[in-house]
Amino acid sequence: MNPERLLQSAPEYLAQRHVLTYMEDALTQLLEHKDDLEPTDVARFFADYFTSVSQGTHVLFRDYSFVQCTPHNRASFLRLFWRCFRTVAKNGDLLTMKEYHCLLQMLCPDFPMDLTQKAARIVLMDDAMDCHMSFSDFLYAFQIQFYYSEFLESAAAVYQELLTGKSLNTVIVPTSRSATPRHRQPFNDSASLEGVEAPQFYQCLENVCERLRHSACPPLPLLGEIVSSAPRLTFYGFLMALAKHTGINQNIGALPDKADLLVDEILDSELEKLVAQISACSITQPPAPCPLPPREIIRVASPKKTLPSRRRPDLESDGSAEETDSSENS
Amino acid sequence: MAPDWLHTGIAMADRRRAAGSSPVPRPPQRQTSGADFLVQAGVRTMMREAVLKLVETRPEDPVAFLADYFGRLGPGPAGGAAAADLCPQLPGQLRLGRALWYLKLAHHSQRTAFNNNLTVAYDCLSAGGKKKKPGLNGKLYTDLLTKICHEGDLPKEISSALLKKIQCRDHEAVPFDVFRYGVVTCFVMMEFRSKADTLFNILDEDSQSDQRVCQTVLDTLKEALVASDLSVPASYLEAGSKLGPDCLAVAMDRALLGKKTGVPMSRNEFLKEACSLFLDKVKPMH
Repeated sequence: MNPERLLQSAPEYLAQRHVLTYMEDALTQLLEHKDDLEPTDVARFFADYFTSVSQGTHVLFRDYSFVQCTPHNRASFLRLFWRCFRTVAKNGDLLTMKEYHCLLQMLCPDFPMDLTQKAARIVLMDDAMDCHMSFSDFLYAFQIQFYYSEFLESAAAVYQELLTGKSLNTVIVPTSRSATPRHRQPFNDSASLEGVEAPQFYQCLENVCERLRHSACPPLPLLGEIVSSAPRLTFYGFLMALAKHTGINQNIGALPDKADLLVDEILDSELEKLVAQISACSITQPPAPCPLPPREIIRVASPKKTLPSRRRPDLESDGSAEETDSSENS
Repeated sequence: MAPDWLHTGIAMADRRRAAGSSPVPRPPQRQTSGADFLVQAGVRTMMREAVLKLVETRPEDPVAFLADYFGRLGPGPAGGAAAADLCPQLPGQLRLGRALWYLKLAHHSQRTAFNNNLTVAYDCLSAGGKKKKPGLNGKLYTDLLTKICHEGDLPKEISSALLKKIQCRDHEAVPFDVFRYGVVTCFVMMEFRSKADTLFNILDEDSQSDQRVCQTVLDTLKEALVASDLSVPASYLEAGSKLGPDCLAVAMDRALLGKKTGVPMSRNEFLKEACSLFLDKVKPMH
């Protein structure tokens, strides 16, 4: 039992767990489908909705604004992405950034390109952006870029500030402002040191986490562990360490450890069963069209609706196409 | 190629797609405005009650709680009937299930939430079927307690001993106070047993639960529980201090120093002994 939640005020509790976001979305979805629903179905609809949120399938085919709006949604999306495309990794295919972006857009049509680009940059270190990447490299880099995007943005800004030495001289006279970085840069170069000093960077990251209390941030102890591994670090080094850290991955809780990325016995056995089923069915008898003939007969038997019946076949076939879709899926 | 986990997602997504692009000419009578639909279905009340229940219960996982909550609500009638008002339409077994669900929404230490749920459950049970007069009779009350004990995995012998003490006669009317006492006793009993189970795990750490040590612990427990007079508030403190680490540790130490019997005590035996201590303290109804 976590007593903290019992001490929170009601609005705090609801806000911390994004309950109102989901209730609002449930209502929006309900209104979108109100014409297909009886008023008595509403409880069932809400139950389905919240079950889907709980299982993390609710972000499938949704707008980017919704997909990214809560940590749970982000984790759900990462998990979906992994589960839908893990065969890519299984086949050992290497894809380019653009190809990964297309995969992302299959799940979320308006997924922004710049996020994919940033994730690819973590893997490819800024050079040769059209290189091929393995699924797992991209996935873990994409995970931290997507899940911690606000945090990383602030961290990058802080890093730049440290690099140009702005926050070292907190009081800067306007005239000397342009001089300071120029002065610092050669100093760094002369010492042939890359990046910034780790303890200072960690301090700044602490502030960032404090500031972004309402967005997802990596836990401070893990950040400390990553940052303190070397006396100095570059931002890309930091991002890579973050992407490869198993503790961070477990903390997000969306993806398995790298070693288990391809292991999914349940799915595998189910897939095998399905493949066997489908191949058996296609030889003996087609499974889906069975319920169709009676409907056709009914449609023909109603001669009154001449005009609608002309339009109906195509939309019925539309519906039946979806049926075969889902029966293949099941 | 999608297994179970995708079903709900695809179902929801299909609905979305269907709503967005389907050229289905909708029957005119169904084209209500959004606001009308919400009023008709009583969505406002439904949502309000869900949020209230949620805030009252404060579950760790609110989304799963809501999924379960709306799932239990069932196909309620339009017009936003309160959840408790839905009960009369349900037959006996369903009402029992519904009442039990309410009772399990919040842990009994969450006083306000649990008390509210108790009231709702009581109202739900006593609403009466078509033929029956309103009010809770002893039979339904006993059924409920049996179900609580059963779902709490209480062994048969313990639960029947407990029920013997707190049940009413089948035809008797059960007032709220009695109902409350019975239900709370069941829940506390189950928690007591699980605590005793944890205690045994500690004693049995290397699978060497010496009977003497176990017996000493039980005796200390007994002394603390049985000797105390529950009507005197100070006795709770006294019982607490008797079970404090100093007293208990001294007693255990003494038992360990003494000659080992070498006879282990089984978990069942220990739990049975512990539960009988609890049962002694349960005030009988009759």
